[in-house]
Amino acid sequence: MILRSLATLVLMGLLGLNLGLPTSSMTYRGSEDKIRNDVTSELLVGQSLPPLGLIDFDGQSVTREDLLGHRVLMTFERSVDW
Amino acid sequence: MNRLRLYRLLMGTLGVAIGLFGLSLVATFFMYQRPGSIPTIPTGPVGHYFVAFSGCALLGWSGGMIGAARDPLSSRSIGTMSAFVLALMAVIRMVAWIIGDYYVWLGNLPRTEASAFLLISLALVWLRPTVAESRAANGA
Repeated sequence: MILRSLATLVLMGLLGLNLGLPTSSMTYRGSEDKIRNDVTSELLVGQSLPPLGLIDFDGQSVTREDLLGHRVLMTFERSVDW
Repeated sequence: MNRLRLYRLLMGTLGVAIGLFGLSLVATFFMYQRPGSIPTIPTGPVGHYFVAFSGCALLGWSGGMIGAARDPLSSRSIGTMSAFVLALMAVIRMVAWIIGDYYVWLGNLPRTEASAFLLISLALVWLRPTVAESRAANGA
């Protein structure tokens, strides 16, 4: 009976804490539109490719200058090792 | 309706609901493996690995709960541990809600779920068989 009462006390405390939490999240980041607006580095169609440095499958580095002057198809794939 | 019958009803309902949810998580993993699939849960390969793991664990928990619903007096500890785990899940949701990383995706859902889990946990604490009842039923 004592343990049951203690458990009830803890659970009621948690319930009270949950109901008393701030009504909006403290680090609320806003809607997806707001987040997109906040990201200033978004690359738009027609803009120049920013400087970049990548490593290819053979371990060779590839920079923006290597790509300029060629027809390039860039694809983005989710990684399997994140 | 007496206390034990309510307990059995609660455990049975929870057991079936958790089992179905576990099954859907396992199915989500297999559906994600199809080439070109769009994940129903916004997570990657590692996340889906743990989704499947959670689904299997939920199926096990569901089995225990259904067993407790069928024979509550000889599986009292399942009610105790379920109450504890539900309270733990509520705390995790409270933290997730206040941190804010999940707000855009889930809104106030974590907080609502936390309240529901705590109320169910309270119900389990008060409805589960007492030690004396279990001992008497098991002839100890």
